[in-house]
Amino acid sequence: MASRAAEAGGRGSTVSRRPGERARTAYLYLLPGFLIYVVFVLLPVAQTVGYSFTEWDGFSAAKWTGLKNYRDLLDDKLFLGAVGHNLVLIVFYTVFPIALALLLTSLLTRRSIKGMNLFRAGLFVPQVMSMVVVGVVWRWIYNPVSGPLNQVLRGAGLDAWARPWLGDPKLALPAVGAIGTWVSFGFALVLFIAGVQRIDEDLYDAAKLDGANGIQQFLAITLPALRNEVTVVLVTLMISALRTFDLIYVTTRGGPANRTMVVAFLLYKNAFTINRAGYAAAIAVVLTIVILIVSYVVITVRMRTSEEA
Amino acid sequence: MATASDEFGRAIPGAFVDGTTAAELRRRRLADWLGNGVVYAILVVSLLIAVGPFVAIALAGFKTDVELAQNPFGLPAQWSLDSFGNAWHQAHFSQYFKSSVIVALPVVLGSTVLSVLTGYAFGRMRFPGSRALFFLFLLGIMIPGEAVIIPLYHNLQRVGLLDTYWAIILPQIAFSISFGTFWMRGFFSQVPGDLVDAATVDGANSWQTLWGVLLPLARPAILSMAVLFFIWSWNDFLLPLVVVSREELRTLPLGLAFFQGRYASNLPLMAAGATLVALPTIVIYVLLQRHFIRGIASGAVK
Amino acid sequence: MRTGTHSRRTMLKATAGAAALGLAGARPAARRAAAQETTLTVWDNWTRDVDSAMIDKLNAAFTEQTGIKLNRTSKSFDDLKATAKLALSSDDGPDVVQINQGLSDMGAMVKAGILSDLTPLSKQFGWDKVLPPSMAARNSFSADGKVFGEGNLWGMPITAEFVGVYYSKQKMADLGLKPATTFDEFEQSLAAAKAKGEIPIQWGDLDGWPAIHTYGTIQHLYVDKAYLDDFIYGRNNVSFVIPENVKAGEKSQEWVKADYFTPDFAGIGYDDSWTAFKGGQGLYMITGSWISAELKNAADPGFGFMLMPPLAADKPNLHVAGTGMAYAIRKSSAQQDAAAQYINFLVSKPSADELATTGIIPLAVDPALAPEGSLYGDIVAAWQSIMKNDTAGHYLDWATPTFYDTIVAGLTDLFGLNITPEQFVQQMQDDYGKFLATQQGA
Repeated sequence: MASRAAEAGGRGSTVSRRPGERARTAYLYLLPGFLIYVVFVLLPVAQTVGYSFTEWDGFSAAKWTGLKNYRDLLDDKLFLGAVGHNLVLIVFYTVFPIALALLLTSLLTRRSIKGMNLFRAGLFVPQVMSMVVVGVVWRWIYNPVSGPLNQVLRGAGLDAWARPWLGDPKLALPAVGAIGTWVSFGFALVLFIAGVQRIDEDLYDAAKLDGANGIQQFLAITLPALRNEVTVVLVTLMISALRTFDLIYVTTRGGPANRTMVVAFLLYKNAFTINRAGYAAAIAVVLTIVILIVSYVVITVRMRTSEEA
Repeated sequence: MATASDEFGRAIPGAFVDGTTAAELRRRRLADWLGNGVVYAILVVSLLIAVGPFVAIALAGFKTDVELAQNPFGLPAQWSLDSFGNAWHQAHFSQYFKSSVIVALPVVLGSTVLSVLTGYAFGRMRFPGSRALFFLFLLGIMIPGEAVIIPLYHNLQRVGLLDTYWAIILPQIAFSISFGTFWMRGFFSQVPGDLVDAATVDGANSWQTLWGVLLPLARPAILSMAVLFFIWSWNDFLLPLVVVSREELRTLPLGLAFFQGRYASNLPLMAAGATLVALPTIVIYVLLQRHFIRGIASGAVK
Repeated sequence: MRTGTHSRRTMLKATAGAAALGLAGARPAARRAAAQETTLTVWDNWTRDVDSAMIDKLNAAFTEQTGIKLNRTSKSFDDLKATAKLALSSDDGPDVVQINQGLSDMGAMVKAGILSDLTPLSKQFGWDKVLPPSMAARNSFSADGKVFGEGNLWGMPITAEFVGVYYSKQKMADLGLKPATTFDEFEQSLAAAKAKGEIPIQWGDLDGWPAIHTYGTIQHLYVDKAYLDDFIYGRNNVSFVIPENVKAGEKSQEWVKADYFTPDFAGIGYDDSWTAFKGGQGLYMITGSWISAELKNAADPGFGFMLMPPLAADKPNLHVAGTGMAYAIRKSSAQQDAAAQYINFLVSKPSADELATTGIIPLAVDPALAPEGSLYGDIVAAWQSIMKNDTAGHYLDWATPTFYDTIVAGLTDLFGLNITPEQFVQQMQDDYGKFLATQQGA
C-alpha cells in the first residue's frame, strides 16, 4: 500500500486557494492537540529540567544549587548501581531475545508452516499484557515454597537447584531479567518473521545454485535483509530495559539489598517517598537524555525505511 | 506491514525444475519432513513458554489454596468461581474495572480525534513552521513518562485535578497524540493526491475532504492506532500510581499491584485478580489481533 | 449475633463515656456546628476491614455526640507516605491526617510549617497521661523540624506497636518447652526445636523490612537506652560502629548458619511467612504486635506472645517499640477546634476500649479487657511491662531520612551472609555519618 501511494504522487499535492488561509486552517487543526501536548508534556519536561538544578523537597521552597544534583549522582553508589543493573537488564531484554528470535527465524525461513498465525498470535501475548500482571504471574512462578518453578525442580530431583529466586541477592537480577527475555522474545520474533517475508525468493534460489548451505544463506541473505528490523527491535527493547519500572515495583521493589534497584525506580523513590524531588528530577533528565539518544537512532532508521518503501 | 498478517512462508521451490531423480526427491522430502518436525516442536515449546504462565494463573484462580500447591499446572478438580467472586466484589476489582474503562474510553476517543486532526494538518497541508512543529510532536514519542511525572504531579495538585480521573486522562491523551500525529501524518501523506484533488475541484473544503474522502480510507490505520492507545492506557502504571490515591479511582493494574501487597498469601485470589486484569486485553487482542500486532510493532518506540 | 449486641453495648458506653468526659473544647465547637454544619476531612491508615469498620463506628458515635460530620478516607501506608505532605500543604487538603513519624515525614512537615502544634492541646486535654515521655518524644520535633525527639508535639498516636516473640503453644508442649526467661534459654529452645526437625523461627524477609525487626530485637539485647535514643534523635555524635552492634550482627549470622530460620527466608514474603506460621510451620515468629489480630483466631491451643527474654533475668532488655502512626492537624485548616476534638475523642477511654475489643492495643489499655492466657492478654501484659520498665527501644529505620533503604539493604546482605558484621555496621555508619554532617552543616 505504501509503495502505491508513493507512486501516485504523495503528499502536498492538494491545491490551495490562498497560502495564508491554508496556514490558518492548518493551525486550527493543530491547536487542540498541540495545546494539550504542550501543557502535559513539553511544559513539564522544561519544569523537570528546572527542578534538576535545585534542592527541593517537593512542597516547601526550592533552593537553587546549580549542577550539584548531577555531581551528587556521580557519587551516589545507589544510582551507579542502578545504572549497572539497567545495563544488565539490557542484555536480558535485547541480546537474549534477539539471538533466540534470529535462531528461530533462520529455521522458519522458506518453510511453509501451517497455523503460523496461531503461533504468532500466541508468541505475542506477553507483549500485550500489563507488566503488573506479568510481575504477579512470575512472582508466583518464582515463589520458593509454593511456586511451580521450585516444585518442578524438586519433582525432578533437583532439590539443590530450587532457590529463593527473587530473594537471593545473586539471582534476583537475572531472575527479573529472564522475565524481560520472556516478554521480549515474541515481539522480536514477530517482527523478524514479517521482515523475512519481504525477502525476494529468487535470492535464495540463486544462492542455492551457488551451493550455499542453510547457514550461509542465513548470513548472506536473511540477516542483511533484516537489518532494519533488528535495529528497531534492538532499540525498542533497549528503551524498555532502560525504563523498567512496573516489573520491579511488583516483583522486588529494588531488593534484595538493592540488587535489582533500577534508575526509574530510584527516581520514583526519590521523588515520592524520600522528598528529594530536585534530585529525582536530575535522575529524570539523565534517563531522558539517554533514551532520546537511543530513540534518535530508531527514528532515523524508521524514516529511512519508510522512504525506501 | 499490511502483508504481515498473511501466512508466513512459501512452498519449497519445485524439485522437478532442476531435474532431480525420484530417489533424491524422496530423500529430500524426508529431510523436509524431519526438518518441519523440529520446527514445529520448537514452535510448540515456544508457544507453551509464552502462553503457559497465563493459562496456569487463570487456572489457579479456579483452584483452592491446597489444590494449587499440589497441582499448579493441571485443570482444577472443581471449577470454583469463589476466588473470582471475591476478587470482583470484596477486593474491589469491579471498581478498578470501572475506573479503567472510565479512563480508557476518553483517552482512546480523545487521542484518536486529536491525532487525526494534527496528522491531517501535517500530512496534507503546507504552512510555515510545520517542520519545527512536527519535530516537537516527534519528541513526545521519545520522551519517557518519567521525564514529566514530578512536575505533572505538582501542576495537577495546583489546579486541583490531582486525585481525579482527569489527572490520568489528560496526560495520557497528551502522550498518545505525539505518536498518533506521527502515525496519521504518515498515512495521510501517502494517500494519492488525485483523490483529494478531485474533491477539492468539486469545491469541498478541508473539513469535507477529511470527512468525506480521507477518513473512510483511514479506517484500518485508525483502528490500529486506537488499539494501541487502548493498550497503553489500560496497562499504564506509573502515571495512575502517582496521580491518584483514592481507592475508587484506581485502575486495574494499580489495584492489582496494591492488592498483591495485601493478599500475596492468598494465591487463588491473586490469580483471579490477575486474570481479571488481563481478560479485557486478551479479548480485544483475540478480536483485533492483526491490528494489535501491527500497532505495537509500529508504536514500539514508545 | 452475640458479638453484634456486645459491640453495640460497647458503643453506647463509648458514647456516654465521651460525653461524660465533657471535653473542654467540645462545647463551643458543638454549638457552632449546630448553627453551621461542620465537616472534618480525615485521612487514616485503618485499611483492614475489621479495623475500618471499628473506626467507622467510632466516627458515627463522634458525629452523634458533637454534630460534627466526618468525611473519612482510609489509605495504605505507602499511599499516605506519598500523598500526605502535599495534601497537608494545600489549603483544601484534609483537616486531620494520620502521618508517619520520623525525619522524612513528620520532620519534613514541621520544617515546611504545615502542621499545627499539638503541645497546647496535649496539656489542655491531658494527653500526656496517655502518652508517656518516651513515646511523646517520638512525636516531637523542634519548631524548625530539625531536631527529632524533643520540642513540640506535632502528632498524637492512639495505639502502641512493638516487636516480640510469638510462639505456638502446641509446639511448645510437644517439645516440652516453657516460654524462656533468659536469652540463653531462648537459644537452647531454638536448638531443641532444630534437633526435632522443627523450624525454630518462622521468617520471610523478601520484603526487606522484617529484618529491621529481627536484627533490632537482637541488637536491643546488647545496647542501652541512652545510646539508642542518641542514635535515633541524632544527639551526641554517637556512631553505629560499636561492639554491641557488631555482636548483634554476629548473633544474627550465627542463627542463619545454625538454620534457625525458615529455609530460603530471603525469598519468602512477610504475608506468606505469617500465614505459614498460622498454619503450623515454626515454633517462634519474631514480629510486631500488629499481627496478633490475624493469629488470635487460630485453632486451639493457638499462640502465645512474649518479649525477647533478657541476657540476665534481673536486667531487663530493650524492645523494638513505638507508637502507631500519629494523628496530625493541617495548620491551614479552618477547623482547628473540631479537629482537636476528634483526636481527643479517639484518645479517650471509651474509644481506647473499643480498640481493645477489636484486638488493637491502645496506648492506655485497660487490662480488664485483656483476658489472662489469651494472646491479647499476653500482648497487653508485654506492653505494660515495657511501659513499667521503660524499655521501649526504637525502629532503627528512623535514624536518617534514607536509613530505611540503607538498613534494609545492609541487613539483606548481613542475613544473606554476603558481608561481615563489621562491614554491615560500617555501611550503616556511612549513611548515618553523612546525615549528621549535613544536619550540623545546615
